[in-house]
Amino acid sequence: MTRLLSSALALSKRLLNLIFSFFYSIGEIVDFFLKCVKYFITEKFYFNIFLKQFIKIGFNSLPVVGLTSIFTGMVLALQSYTGFSRFSAESAIPNVVVLSITRELAPVLAGLMVAGRSGAAIAAEIGTMKVTEQIDALKTLSTNPFNYLIIPRILAGIISLPILVIVGDIIGVLGGYLICVNLLNFNPTVYLQNTYNFVQFLDVFSGLVKASVFGFLITFMGCYHGFNANGGAQGVGQSTTYSVVSSSILILLMNYIITSFFFRL
Amino acid sequence: MRKKKIIVKNVSKSFKNKVVLNKLNLDVYESESLSIIGESGSGKSILTRCIVGLLKYDDGSIDFGKLNNINTLSDKEKMNYMSKFGILFQNSALLDSLNIRENLKFAYKKNSLKKILNEVGLPQSILEKYPSELSVGMQKRVGLARAILKKPEVLILDEPTTGLDPIIARQINLLIKNLVRKKKITTITVTHDMESVYEFADYVAFLKNGIIEWYGKARKINQSKNSSMIKFIKGIT
Repeated sequence: MTRLLSSALALSKRLLNLIFSFFYSIGEIVDFFLKCVKYFITEKFYFNIFLKQFIKIGFNSLPVVGLTSIFTGMVLALQSYTGFSRFSAESAIPNVVVLSITRELAPVLAGLMVAGRSGAAIAAEIGTMKVTEQIDALKTLSTNPFNYLIIPRILAGIISLPILVIVGDIIGVLGGYLICVNLLNFNPTVYLQNTYNFVQFLDVFSGLVKASVFGFLITFMGCYHGFNANGGAQGVGQSTTYSVVSSSILILLMNYIITSFFFRL
Repeated sequence: MRKKKIIVKNVSKSFKNKVVLNKLNLDVYESESLSIIGESGSGKSILTRCIVGLLKYDDGSIDFGKLNNINTLSDKEKMNYMSKFGILFQNSALLDSLNIRENLKFAYKKNSLKKILNEVGLPQSILEKYPSELSVGMQKRVGLARAILKKPEVLILDEPTTGLDPIIARQINLLIKNLVRKKKITTITVTHDMESVYEFADYVAFLKNGIIEWYGKARKINQSKNSSMIKFIKGIT
């Protein structure tokens, strides 16, 4: 009886610790975010660093996003054909491709790819700077690390992701077009006409809103985990893992929330 | 007449259950060179990080000139406060994504770059190189240049000779000695290297179990009767 009681106590203690550390982490993340906002408003903005990061996060991710989009568009066209041909609705394929790509697949897949590519790189770079005292050195050189390291990266993420998604939208639709025209014998003009007539502003816009939010999540989580790295190489590795995992999960969660918001419009 | 620059009063700092600094008291005097020695993990670096404001202490106070209890400074005040220090970090802490010119740009006033490179014994050709292209000794020199470029009120040297071979370590010690003597700058050096202590320290503080166990003139260090410190010095030299 006593053993049962003590193990129940130990279990509840662990559970409480878990809940406490969860809320503690939430508090730290909120504090980090508020500091970003505060220093963005009140202190110097490093435009050059922003430009560098814009190229790193946005332009350098183009090949990855482009490849992901084109293959997704191609697969989508093939799979839709398999389904729609069973009830002679092949003509709806351009509509399904453009809708799925713009509303859903381009932003989510671009987000996940950039999280793996740039989010991890941000966490590793800032984490290394933290454990090698480079961030402390910045502080003693009258440079606020939030303004120098964090804010330019977050802004670059927020702005570059929608641009990547626009490119992804075009390439994804092109992928569907290539399959439908070359493999499934669709009329090219009719395909493009159907796509153009069907797509609405809100379809593209909702995808771009998602992309902006994902860009924020990826860079913010990368910066946050990198900034809180400790304990040498192992700590940097851990911060990279946390960054990719947390931003990927948040992308999927926010995707649902934003989709349901636009669903009501 | 010695004038107090930094006053550390009953400062305590713990990490989880481990007490690192235990109601520590220490005065740092203007234009003097103080070396803090002690075994690994004795809290030397933690103490200097608390003095600079990079770490908050749990209890006590640190006064700097007219500033009282630096723990209470606002973020902006803390930023200004930190700029009074020039720090040579243990691993130099040069920003590895920037070349040496850009690294020094963070601190330099116009036209002083050439002069400062001469002072630390570096050629101008290194300005376009990246930290990873330099030897550890050169990185230390650049770190030192960056620390003194902004004309700090206090110079902090965290293990300036760690990771260097004895010849380069001797060169760095001599370089620091010349700079400290010439500029008459208040200096705090955290070190394991007794050569550094003999070379340029005016005063020495021996840290053990979170308190200063011995404090005195550097030239009287060998006359000390503190058994822990004698053991420490003998173990090192």
